[in-house]
Amino acid sequence: MHSALNRVQNVFGYFTTVASVVAAVIALSSFTQPQAPSASLKLRNIQVAKGRPHYYSSKREEYAHVRFDLDTDLSSIFNWNTKQVFAYIVATYPSNDPTEPPTQAIIWDAILPSLLEPWHENQYIHPGPPPTPRNGKRSSRSSNSGPTYSRTKRPGILKLSNQKPKYQITDHTGLIANRGNATLELEWSVQPWVGMLTWKPRRDLGVWKKLKGGVSKTFSFPEVIGKKPADMNTVKGGERNRGKPA
Amino acid sequence: MAEEALDYVRDLVEGQIDFEGQRLSELIYTVLLSLVGVVAFVTGYITQNVYNTLYVGLAGTALTFVVVVPAWPIFNKHPQRWIAAPHKYSSSSGFNVEVDGKKVT
Repeated sequence: MHSALNRVQNVFGYFTTVASVVAAVIALSSFTQPQAPSASLKLRNIQVAKGRPHYYSSKREEYAHVRFDLDTDLSSIFNWNTKQVFAYIVATYPSNDPTEPPTQAIIWDAILPSLLEPWHENQYIHPGPPPTPRNGKRSSRSSNSGPTYSRTKRPGILKLSNQKPKYQITDHTGLIANRGNATLELEWSVQPWVGMLTWKPRRDLGVWKKLKGGVSKTFSFPEVIGKKPADMNTVKGGERNRGKPA
Repeated sequence: MAEEALDYVRDLVEGQIDFEGQRLSELIYTVLLSLVGVVAFVTGYITQNVYNTLYVGLAGTALTFVVVVPAWPIFNKHPQRWIAAPHKYSSSSGFNVEVDGKKVT
């Protein structure tokens, strides 16, 4: 402590200690924030058609196209230490071999940013209300796009009706038609500002209540339809990342 | 003239303080930084904004650096007085130092 350099080293050393302790307290504080998310997830329509994994492939696989309704309130997940929530919908169905675990595939996902997170082009843009044309005039873009739900005071509220999937799914065998006992389930992971990545709790963890609802009724994949209908395309929303790895 | 200015700058950079000042500065930075940590967390938590924790923490740390690092006059209020050399040592013959059993003069 006798010289200025020595004092710089000491103060900086203690600063790192204080910073890591504060960071640890912040990380632990998220477990004291109550959360009680709820969701209603319904299967709307499901179609299975033959397709190719990519244009030049000679392999023909069966692809399932799942439309769904999702009405969820994940706003309680957004506490002061939440940076963003990655919400996704998983289709789960038993494998052909009963000794093997069930197969899971993601049909839709969204990056839900917290209010403090800087804008990024991959963040989810919630579809606004349908445009209401006045006097036959095209309404301006700002009123057309409607409120983006992820940028309101309470992020994490999603109301999707007859939503097209982001990804068509297939089985590793290439056959997905006529598979039974399938469900859709809403999942998420939470990226905090400080601390560890957490996933949807399977059961109540203190003040963290598990998701109420969020699982669809069991359904079966239908027969393969002959020709691929026009409305079987996937939709990526307004965000930049169109289902490709970032 | 340049010599004096150089000396002044060197003293400023070295920032020597006395023993009492060292004890005081150590106390100040420990208390201040601990306090900054608590205040930063509470500020962020109350405003529900983790950025405020960051900014308050960094600002408080910067303040601590300003308070503790330079050799402020308060850290030099108790200069160490050296005992004056006894008169007999002032002559060169007065030393009584032995090295390997031999007297060194």
